[in-house]
Formats: sequence, C-alpha cells, structure tokens
Amino acid sequence: MIEKTKGVDRAANIVLATGMIFILFPLVITLVTATQSYEDFVRNGFSFMPGTHFLDNISIVIETTHLPRQILNSIIMATMMATIKCVIAFLTAYAIVYFRIRYGGIIFAMVLVTNLMPLELRFITTYQVASNVMLPVNAFLEFTGIARIIELISGHHPHYKLSILNTYFGLAAPLLANGTGTFLFRQYFRSLPADLSKAAKMDGAGPIRFLWDILMPLSKSNFAALFLIMFLGGWTQYLWPLVAASTPEMQTAVVGLARLSPGIPGEVPQYPAIMAGAVMVSVIPLLMIAFMQRHIVRGLTLTEK
Amino acid sequence: MNNSQFHRRWLPLLLSLPQLLLIILFFYIPIYMAFFWSFTLERPFGGGSQFVGMQNYLRVLTDTEFWMAAERTLLFMVTASSLAVILPLFLAVAADRKVRLAMPARNILVWPKGIAGASLGVVFLFIFNPFLGILAPLNDLFPGIWQPGIDGKDAFVMLVAAQVWSGIPFNFVILLAGLQSVPASMHHSAAMDGASAWRRIRDIQIPMIMPQLFLVFVLEFTESVTGAFGIIDAMTEGGPGGATTLLVYKIYVDGFKGYDLSGASTQSTILMILVISLAAFQFFYLEKKVRYER
Repeated sequence: MIEKTKGVDRAANIVLATGMIFILFPLVITLVTATQSYEDFVRNGFSFMPGTHFLDNISIVIETTHLPRQILNSIIMATMMATIKCVIAFLTAYAIVYFRIRYGGIIFAMVLVTNLMPLELRFITTYQVASNVMLPVNAFLEFTGIARIIELISGHHPHYKLSILNTYFGLAAPLLANGTGTFLFRQYFRSLPADLSKAAKMDGAGPIRFLWDILMPLSKSNFAALFLIMFLGGWTQYLWPLVAASTPEMQTAVVGLARLSPGIPGEVPQYPAIMAGAVMVSVIPLLMIAFMQRHIVRGLTLTEK
Repeated sequence: MNNSQFHRRWLPLLLSLPQLLLIILFFYIPIYMAFFWSFTLERPFGGGSQFVGMQNYLRVLTDTEFWMAAERTLLFMVTASSLAVILPLFLAVAADRKVRLAMPARNILVWPKGIAGASLGVVFLFIFNPFLGILAPLNDLFPGIWQPGIDGKDAFVMLVAAQVWSGIPFNFVILLAGLQSVPASMHHSAAMDGASAWRRIRDIQIPMIMPQLFLVFVLEFTESVTGAFGIIDAMTEGGPGGATTLLVYKIYVDGFKGYDLSGASTQSTILMILVISLAAFQFFYLEKKVRYER
C-alpha cells in the first residue's frame, strides 16, 4: 500500500517492544541471577549486573539436587508422550477417514469429548486407576460372575493389581487420554484428494501399504508439528507428574525445580543456584522453540492447546 | 468418498484400539468414578465404600471454604482470561503490520510455551520477593506496600500476572493467524474509501477475527480454571490464608493431603459440571452472535 501509516506503525512498534520486554524480563533476570555468586547476591541483593559464577552455580545444582536425573526423566517422558501420541492419533484418524465403518462417528465423538475436560479436573480418580490399572478387569469379573466361577475352581478370589504409578508409562499415559492430534490428522486426511486412495486401490495397494508408503510420507510436517507440541506440553506438565511420581528419582524436572527449597529459614535463600536450576530446566524447550519456530507455530494453530 | 475407502471389518477397530483403550482407561472410567464417588463415602487406602446419597454434596455446598474457593476461581477466570486474550490481541494486531519489530516479536512471544507455569512461579517468587526482589526498594520507601506473603491481594495479582504471561503464546499465534487470513483486498478497498489504518483495525480486522477471539476465550476460560495449579503450587501453595486457593488447588489439598476422596471427587464433579456448562453456554449462546462470514 502506498499510504503513510507512520502513527500506527510507531504505536505497533511500541506495543511489540512492551510485549517482548514483558516476556523477556523474567528470563533475563533468571539468567543474570544465575551468574551471580551467593556472597555477591547476599551483599548487593537484586541486581542486573551479570557475574562470573554461572558454572559454579550449575555445579552446586548438579551436586546437591536431583535435577540432572529429573531432567533426564523429563526428556524420556516428553519423548514418550510425543511418540505415542503421534502413532495413536495417526492410526485413529486413519481408521476414521479411510475405512467405511458405521462406528467411525462414534469413535470420533468419543475422542472429541475428551477435550472438554483436562486431566486437572479428573486427577483424583485417575490416580486411583493408575494405582491399579486392572481395576476395570476386576470390576468386569465381579459384574459378570466370572470371579465366583474362578473362586470355585481355583479356591481363591481373583483380584488383580498392577500399578503404573512411579513409572515412565504412568507419567505419560493419562496425559495422552485426549483428542489432541486425532482431530489434526483427520482434518489433514480429509483435505487430501480422494483420488489418492482410489489410485492406490486400483494399483492393488492394501490399507497398510497405503498407510505406510503414501500417507506417512505425506504427513511428515504434521508429525513434526504434533511431536514438538506434545513434547513441550509433556515437558511443562506439573500436576500429574507431581502426584504420579512418589520418589525424587522419578519426578520430572519442573516438579523438582518447584521443590528446590529456598534453604534454611531466616537466611537469604540460595537464589543464584535456584535460578541456575531454572535455566537448566528451561533451556531445552526454549532452544526448541527458538529454532523450530515454524513447526511450533503450525502445531499451535493446528492443535487446540 | 465411497470408492476411495477401504472395506475391512476389524482392521479399523484394531487401528484405533490403542487410543480407545487410553481414553477409556484414563478418561471415561475416572470420570465415571468421580461421579460415583461423589455419592459414596470412600475410605482412603481401599478401605471400602458406602452409599450416602446427596450427603457429600450437602457437606461441600454448605462449606464456606468451598464457596470462597469458587468465588476466587471465578474472579481469577474473569481477570486472568480477559487479560490473557486482550494483551495478545494488541500484540497480534501490532505484529500483523509490516514493522521492524514484527519479526523478532513473532519469535520471542512464543517462548513462554516452553516454560512451565511452575518454573515461572519459582522465578516470579524471586522477582517479586518483598525483600530481595525488584520491588524491594519500593518496600524500603513505603514499608508494607508490597507483601505477597502476607497480603492476599498482592499474591493474587502475582498469580494473574504469571497466568497471563504463560497464556500469551497460544492466543497470540491464533489471533495473528486470524489477522493474516483477512484478505488484502478488503484492506485496499477500505483504504481507497478513505478509512485510516486505525479505522481499519477497528472496523475490519477485529470483526473479521471474531471466530478466533471466540475460540481463544473459550479455551482460556478452561485453562484458567485448571492451568493455574502449577503456578499456585510453586508460588503460594494456596496462601496466604487461603487467598489463592482456587478450586483445583483445594481439590488437590483435600484429596492428596487430607485423604478426603469423597469430598475431592464431589468438588471435581461440581467443577466438571461448571466447565462443561460454561463451554456449552459459550457454544450454543455466544457462538450464534459470532459471525463467520468470510
């Protein structure tokens, strides 16, 4: 456009600068404080002057806390979540879109409803299920009377118990019980030309062959977007990892960071070390966001949170 | 699409089985159980249960602490989610223009997506520490003006600030995507009719992204009810004096610290009903007022 919009553009720059300062401020403070020594911090208090003790603070964290192990836990859990999510969402969407089945609508509705209620609304009972995932099996045996039959035959009442608490699978699985991703792939498959599968069928390709050789390569960028969003989502989870992991060795990095105690009451807290811990916990997801911007933005617009 | 679909009886069910098992086990069964438990007295550590009818609801609904938590949840919902939508709206409108800061802003404003609410809580707790943080000089001048550890209002403000910070990326990205899909021809014709850039923002851009604004509002409402947990636990643990105990935090404390499983389930059920009816209200009532014309 040829018109002049200087006033608006200046205002836009001011708004954006303010927004970036709001976002960057806590991050910069964290980084700067993480470089100061505890002695300087006690003497000077809050200061914007970077120090030279970043590595010292990091080594304090590594030596005195469980954070290194917990960061590894976060990597494992987030990778697991992202991988499983990509697979199950892709397969479900494939089943709904590419097969002529009467129950396709039911499956889709069942999956879609899950987005209404996040885990935070049902974690009390989800915890009970996770503490014994055989619960439905027991209930089924009781309900159908099979339990009685087994008791008559074998002499003892069947009650199976399998806890997934304090395992990586237990950290990840309940967080995967939602429709994120299924909707994404469904929309994508429906946007592809119908001739694609028609041609594949004419060439004699079965459903598995079509999925593997045609659909998967086509969906690469969708996989990338979903994987990154799920990884970041897993990394930043808090409530579920807090209750599902009972030992510090199994807790995730974010939970561990929030549990770092500010030290002895009455003394100035070891804030430089705590901030160094915050840097360690946040550096992996932040680097991912800064360098894989395109996929993340795509993922954010395609998935609903 | 008939010819383009495959005909198999069991394969599609097999393919969707992993997903179905997960949502049945960790979504439908827990929700059913929460509902069921809200009518029983559940003893911790598997000590059996007893049907008690509406007693749990009576107990919860006559508890003043429940109503205080509900009120705070509502207040938090309204303040945090309006700010978490309005600020990104300003930022998105600004970033939609071809200005120098638009490119770096589009990158940096997404960064909070990688920071957990609880991590931010740890950092905010330090920054807003009344004696060591950035407001310490202010406290030296006017003692007692900022004390989030004692004054519930200060703690609440801190919570809202942290929630808004965390909510910026998603809302910004969605609103910006909406703005960018406004056809350039609309801008051009409005400009030719003499509409200034300000006028076009108000009369073209904002009305055109109403669907996106609606979407982020709906999602932000739920998010403010549930997502604040990490921030609360890391920053205030519900204090001081319960001033930041939102319902989601109260449920956690009652269930996991007080072993009151029936009470926690009852409150979960009430919160679920609240969230669902809000979503239903927004979809069936408000959505009619949102125009999707393109």
